[in-house]
Amino acid sequence: MKTAEKVDLYREFSKEYAASRNPALVKVGPATYLSISGQGAPGSAAFTEAIGALYGVAFTVKMTRKFAGKRDYAVSKLEGLWPDFSSPIAMPDKSQWRWQIMIRTPRFVTQKEVAQAIAVQLKRGKSAEVQRVRLEPLEEGLCVQALHVGPYDNEGTTMAAMKSFAESEGLKLRGVHHDIYLSDPRRVAPAKLKTILRHPVERIAK
Amino acid sequence: MRAITLQDYKRRIGQVLAHIQEHLDGPLALDELAALACFSRYHFHRIFKGMVGESVKEYVRRLRLERAAGQLRRGSASVIEIALDAGYESHEAFTRSFKACFGAAPSQFRSIRRAQVDAVSSGVHYRPGKTIRHFKTLHRGGSMNVKIQQLKPMRVAFLRHVGPYGEVGATWDRLLTIMGKDGYLGGNTMLLGICHDDPEVTPPSKIRYDACVTVGDDFVPSGDIQVQTVSGGEYAMITHTGPYSNLGRTYAELLGQWVPRSGRELRDVPCFEVYLNDPQSTAPEDLLTDIYAPLQGQGRATRG
Repeated sequence: MKTAEKVDLYREFSKEYAASRNPALVKVGPATYLSISGQGAPGSAAFTEAIGALYGVAFTVKMTRKFAGKRDYAVSKLEGLWPDFSSPIAMPDKSQWRWQIMIRTPRFVTQKEVAQAIAVQLKRGKSAEVQRVRLEPLEEGLCVQALHVGPYDNEGTTMAAMKSFAESEGLKLRGVHHDIYLSDPRRVAPAKLKTILRHPVERIAK
Repeated sequence: MRAITLQDYKRRIGQVLAHIQEHLDGPLALDELAALACFSRYHFHRIFKGMVGESVKEYVRRLRLERAAGQLRRGSASVIEIALDAGYESHEAFTRSFKACFGAAPSQFRSIRRAQVDAVSSGVHYRPGKTIRHFKTLHRGGSMNVKIQQLKPMRVAFLRHVGPYGEVGATWDRLLTIMGKDGYLGGNTMLLGICHDDPEVTPPSKIRYDACVTVGDDFVPSGDIQVQTVSGGEYAMITHTGPYSNLGRTYAELLGQWVPRSGRELRDVPCFEVYLNDPQSTAPEDLLTDIYAPLQGQGRATRG
């Protein structure tokens, strides 16, 4: 018997992940994410521990389903929401940054499966952080999006171009700044890091 | 203790080159050749390939064909006699190999006055009655980014795959599914491959490969999943970028080009590789694999 083809969300929603250096508008439909939120500089102990907890749950959910013969899927790349990026106030103190790191997950994954995976992780003696991992929906709608190439600290330049592009289209930024990490920062030189930057937009009221 | 030099490596590999020419009709088993040059059987063929530019098998085949070419030009033996002499079981197989090497079929070759031998990077050709003393080594120059790393012993859970290297995916799939559902995979889990045999040397059906994931002391093996410890100590590490099918080239460069110039010797345990991205969601040209080659301790009197 032929099993259903493995789900790859990047292929399935390829239009939502299209990005070039020139900002463009994309429509992003409803999506589901495994996510965990916290506060602290990227790379800090809290941040790293949260990433470990998120992946632990993500792999356990996926492999438990696979073992049971349920529909298989590829674990998506890491993404992050950065609420403070969007405020007009500069936040030079990174230890104050709030974040929500996420892995997009197929909508057929259930809350029950996530709860079971968390229980298995705890049984394995993993950090209690895993209990903070959530399965949550996110619908961003119309967004401005661009590919940022270079260090994360330089995202501001690309963000500025996205903002002025949005304004030229009669739109303004709303909601929360969203990063989709295409490169592994442990492996790729800062100058070559590729990140999709996404920000929801809305019409400027006339 | 004197540090080992490139000249030492060249002398040892040179002995093998000479031995092969003098024993072209012998079995020329890899273990025997490795012992002759005092190299670990785990690493010998890669050191050879990296330094000489051909695998042992390719070198033996070429020398046998060059000897056959000489016999064709000078003697009156039949082509099939010469083919058998060169280790081929059929006229066709011999003709195919010969054509690939000399650009002409053996029968045509007889009437050509001068042999068209392609240049080989080592500069070594079959010369009856002459002892091979020198050969040119390949060198990728300073472009190899090798790091020396001190590793702690790593406890790993593993599944052994016996069969073609290209089919290890199924073994990985099974190992990751079982380990994953039991909650053993997380952000810091490392995925290692230990290849006990070289895909370029061992027949595909006999290659032994261990698909491994790092585990803590609490892991209890069950079913056919076993546990082993990857030895700690110093390793030379290089990152291979690209498809797994090209790993052999990077292994040969590390072991046959970098190591002989490093002043170091390899330890008698297998190399291992660490997979940094997921082949199911990564384009083959973007795959990253760290190759670790075990080094002997340096300059300790206890090792003299």
